[in-house]
Amino acid sequence: MRRNTIVLTAVLFILAIFAWAGWANWEYRRQAAEKLLAGAGQGELVPAPGGDAMNYVSPLNGKPAPAFALQNLSGGKISLAGYKGKAVMINFWATWCGPCKVETPWIVELRNKYAAQGFEVLGVDTEGDDLAASDKAGWAKAETNANKFVTEMKVPYPVLLDGDSISRDYGGLDDLPASFFVDRSGKIVAASVGLTSESDIEGNIKKALAN
Amino acid sequence: MRKTIRATAATAISLWVLAAHAQVIPPAAQNRSIITTDAVQYLFPEQVSVPAGKPSPVTLHFRVAQGLHINSHTPSDEFLIPTDFSIPDGMGVRLGAATYPPGTIIWLAFEPKTKLSVYTGEFEIQARIVATPGNHLVQAKLHYQACDQNQCMPPKTINVPIDVIGK
Repeated sequence: MRRNTIVLTAVLFILAIFAWAGWANWEYRRQAAEKLLAGAGQGELVPAPGGDAMNYVSPLNGKPAPAFALQNLSGGKISLAGYKGKAVMINFWATWCGPCKVETPWIVELRNKYAAQGFEVLGVDTEGDDLAASDKAGWAKAETNANKFVTEMKVPYPVLLDGDSISRDYGGLDDLPASFFVDRSGKIVAASVGLTSESDIEGNIKKALAN
Repeated sequence: MRKTIRATAATAISLWVLAAHAQVIPPAAQNRSIITTDAVQYLFPEQVSVPAGKPSPVTLHFRVAQGLHINSHTPSDEFLIPTDFSIPDGMGVRLGAATYPPGTIIWLAFEPKTKLSVYTGEFEIQARIVATPGNHLVQAKLHYQACDQNQCMPPKTINVPIDVIGK
């Protein structure tokens, strides 16, 4: 009987430790969440390293462009590997992104200007960042919007869907537009985040074509 | 007695397994974007007391981080994502209606022709809620999409925690 009492006391003691550990864990996480929220309240967009979008230096510069194969608006699969030997601009965009809308006509113009030299643009739509995988209506609307946008803008290059699935490989794209310029050997030679200018984009295209 | 000891031991093991899964995540190890992309912060109220079963107005205060703007509830372009407040079902509180402030009209340096209807700084949403009797910790939602002059962040939904007491 005495032995049982000791065992029961020991078990109750262990339970009390677990309860305390659980409470301490919850309290720590609550405080951590409060700190994060407080920080977010004072948040500002921090300028990209280098001071502006044109001078953005991606850690991917000089490295092979991460491979991908995504569905285009017609339902076909497009892979980056299929463009080996060409200079490629990978342009991450979304229909809700005002600056993306501003730069698209420039990109269309430059694509048409340099296509004969072996240049192509791959537009990668990142429309659905906030959509759950199960939100079929949301995804369908996103695709409809992308189609509408592409038609309105008379986009002549392939536009690929579900850019979110590859954004991590490209450094985690928190802001749009974001573009990566890939040379003929498949290496990233320049990158930009945010709206630049048509001449900046052209300069990066020339870099990609030169290598 | 043995049965009691076995049952107690089993409970202890279960609790140990639960504790092992609920590990602490240090803030530094969390995703950087939690801070850099939380463009909107819910300010107050944290708690409201309303008559149970009756539609009651509640004013919710939010703040958009400096240098950023979010689309108003009625943005100027069909592609833009409106700011939207909602209360999920099953929380003991129903959203009857929400009244949004009119947006401030701005235009951006790179596109002066395009006018945008946005919220900047602090703004308020008037929500008419209907609560059942009791204390409800409501996790309402605010959906928005933020930009600055040159770039845009993906659409986001933040939690709006309100302790609603239906009397």
